Amino acid sequence: MLHRVLPWSAALALILGAASADAAHLVWSGLVIAQNNENPKPPPAELASYEQTLKDLFGYNQFEVIGQSRKTLATGQEDWLATSKYFALRVDARGADDAGYDLNLQLYQEKELLVETNTKLSQSSPLVIKGPQVGGGQLLLVLLIDDEQKSTEAKRYHSHHSNNKFQSAWHRFARMFRSRK
Amino acid sequence: MKTFEEKWTAWVDDQLTGNELEEFEASLPDRAAAEAEKRAAKKLGVLLQRELTAKSLLNADFFSHQLRGRIEQDDRHDSPSRGGAGLSVWWPIRRLVWAGAASLAMFIAIAVFVMRDKEPSEPSQYLTQIMGAKLDPANGPDATITIFESKEDRVTVLWTEGLKSLPSEYAAK
Repeated sequence: MLHRVLPWSAALALILGAASADAAHLVWSGLVIAQNNENPKPPPAELASYEQTLKDLFGYNQFEVIGQSRKTLATGQEDWLATSKYFALRVDARGADDAGYDLNLQLYQEKELLVETNTKLSQSSPLVIKGPQVGGGQLLLVLLIDDEQKSTEAKRYHSHHSNNKFQSAWHRFARMFRSRK
Repeated sequence: MKTFEEKWTAWVDDQLTGNELEEFEASLPDRAAAEAEKRAAKKLGVLLQRELTAKSLLNADFFSHQLRGRIEQDDRHDSPSRGGAGLSVWWPIRRLVWAGAASLAMFIAIAVFVMRDKEPSEPSQYLTQIMGAKLDPANGPDATITIFESKEDRVTVLWTEGLKSLPSEYAAK
């Protein structure tokens, strides 16, 4: 009996494992130049919902990404870099709890460390760091958990491509396996 | 009215009596041959009675026991056991039921996982917090750090002042 139950249990565990993997968060980190422009370009999708807040805070009307990185945090122990030609943002994740991810951030201008900070990045609460003035604009560092963007994209995808529930389920199923590769 | 054959059989068995016997013997064409045949038939009857009597077995119980053992052995060869026969009938059904239940459970698990509509994630009750920050003095000796949270917009800001300004080429991607 046991040797018949085991394979089924293993299969179920795999499915549940796949489900829990889906719970991992995607962190977007961006190096952004904020400046005023007569014909401002639209902000990147990741910043779209925070555009007005950034405008109010910093007084610029255009936010252009010069470097970015997306990292899926599964264990909360990952580290990554977002770089532009002259700047690099190094992020070192050092654990996670209900309140968010413990991150150590280091902003480098070429090889010089400009700013270092320890933060607990929470879901639905982006972190914005005002960096040095660059020309007529301002360097901003933005870190946010991108789940909302993910779900927005998914909703857009579904509404454009299919209203068929089974088809969308199939797409999600296929995406799940693609993302696990 | 008896036929000749019936009368002949009865005569051989000495079953004919009285007038019937006299009439039958008178009707025989060759009495001597008939008597000879009668004697031969009686002789054969005695012989058959003697030889065809069922012989009684001397070890009846032993043979009966042996026979029963042999039958049981043959039964075991045909089907492993009575319980085994029951298992062979029910086992595929039980296995089918198990496989069906397990498949159904797998299907439900996958369907629930795949087809659930993702609820819009509730905003976390926590705001991003800054535990500490430092600036490199070489990039602005008078540089300062201010931390504040825009609770309405749920944005946490690390505001630096006094860092060295850089030329616009630093905005290159």
